[in-house]
Amino acid sequence: METEIRNKPSFAIVHVDMEPGDRIIAEADAMASMSANVALRCRWNGGFLRAIAKRIFCNETLFVNQYHCAGEGELVLTQPFPGDIECIELKGNSLYLQPGAFLACEPGVRLGLGWAGFASWLGREGLFRLKVSGTGRIWFGAYGGIFAREIDHEYVVDTGHLVAYEPSVSLRVGMAGGIFSSFFSGEGLVSRMRGPGRVYLQSRSMESLVAWTNAHLH
Amino acid sequence: MTQYEILARPAASVVKMTLQPGESMTCESGAMIAMSSEITVETSARKRGAGGLKRALKRLVAGENFFLNHFVAGAPNQTLIIGPGLLGDIVHHPLTGGTLVVQGSSWMASSTDIDIDATWQGLGKAIFSGEGVFWVKCSGTGDLFLNSFGAIYTVDVDGEYVVDTGHIVAFEDTLQFRIAKAGKSLLGSLLGGEGLVCRFHGRGRLYCQSHNPPNFGKLLGPKLKTR
Repeated sequence: METEIRNKPSFAIVHVDMEPGDRIIAEADAMASMSANVALRCRWNGGFLRAIAKRIFCNETLFVNQYHCAGEGELVLTQPFPGDIECIELKGNSLYLQPGAFLACEPGVRLGLGWAGFASWLGREGLFRLKVSGTGRIWFGAYGGIFAREIDHEYVVDTGHLVAYEPSVSLRVGMAGGIFSSFFSGEGLVSRMRGPGRVYLQSRSMESLVAWTNAHLH
Repeated sequence: MTQYEILARPAASVVKMTLQPGESMTCESGAMIAMSSEITVETSARKRGAGGLKRALKRLVAGENFFLNHFVAGAPNQTLIIGPGLLGDIVHHPLTGGTLVVQGSSWMASSTDIDIDATWQGLGKAIFSGEGVFWVKCSGTGDLFLNSFGAIYTVDVDGEYVVDTGHIVAFEDTLQFRIAKAGKSLLGSLLGGEGLVCRFHGRGRLYCQSHNPPNFGKLLGPKLKTR
């Protein structure tokens, strides 16, 4: 199965060239277009209860579609917001994804729900996070461009800009500066990540877009 | 065909055209960004020279602006730069006597000789084809510029191809199409979020957009202030 991420970083899509035997699982409504010989089956996202939990806590879709092809065909997967997509190959390791980031994965990957802790919730990074583990490739995306950082000690990330991080990285919420500057700097709360490990960040945040748009609505 | 260049694809696209005397380009209202001084603009509620008020009203219903701007060059090598209102891509389609069916909001500009007909109801009867989507039929000879929210990718269909209806930008009318369910079961299709898709078959060119404006709107909308 050949895959390519096109139109990075503003309107990224995953272009998949499929052959018989290839399988790819994607969140509901991810398909933009596909060859006529690609078929899809709708499945609960991990089973009934887990799907509900993922929908409520992780902003993931209740259902996922499993795609397969009878011959040679193509499939174009996209996300609802404009932005970047990254592909990671899991080899038994795991990755935590922020709510809404998951796009697609190969069948050997498990999608689980993980408790992110109150710290994460205070930092408005969500009470839960999606834990992807197993073997195979996963695709995740964000509003904005995605860039990775290998962090060693402490690294500060603005709320709304975190996409994914390795389990070896711990999260603590803190203020950007003192009380006065946190309030007036516009930065407010930040996530203090402690490594070692890799962190994926997004260059834009939906919260900023919403705030800007709201300011213009009168 | 008019000399043109599409810049800043796929997110901030603009078209830079060079018009020669007598060449005329019809653009949607508000598309002009910059132009040389020897270009004259005529704004009309109808196609330049022909079309009539009825056609214009039909365009209004189609989601296109009531007024069309016709840009005519009065001197050699006049530059005209046009672009859409939102972030997105632009693609050029050369029409050589055939017909291209364009999604209402994706038509941006065309050579003035191209006939624009907003009465085409082929997909319109299917309410499933998307929230308030209308279609514009363009025929004749000349250049056509289409815009989108998302990157535009071209599929030269030879056989059969499936597109989620919100992702269709334009297609040649040599293609047959039908609205169908995405998967084998209707329930599966609906729950899987794909719902109904458009199955094209035959031979012809199809332009698709990578992103779907209503889906982005559904994410953003609930977070905005209510008025």
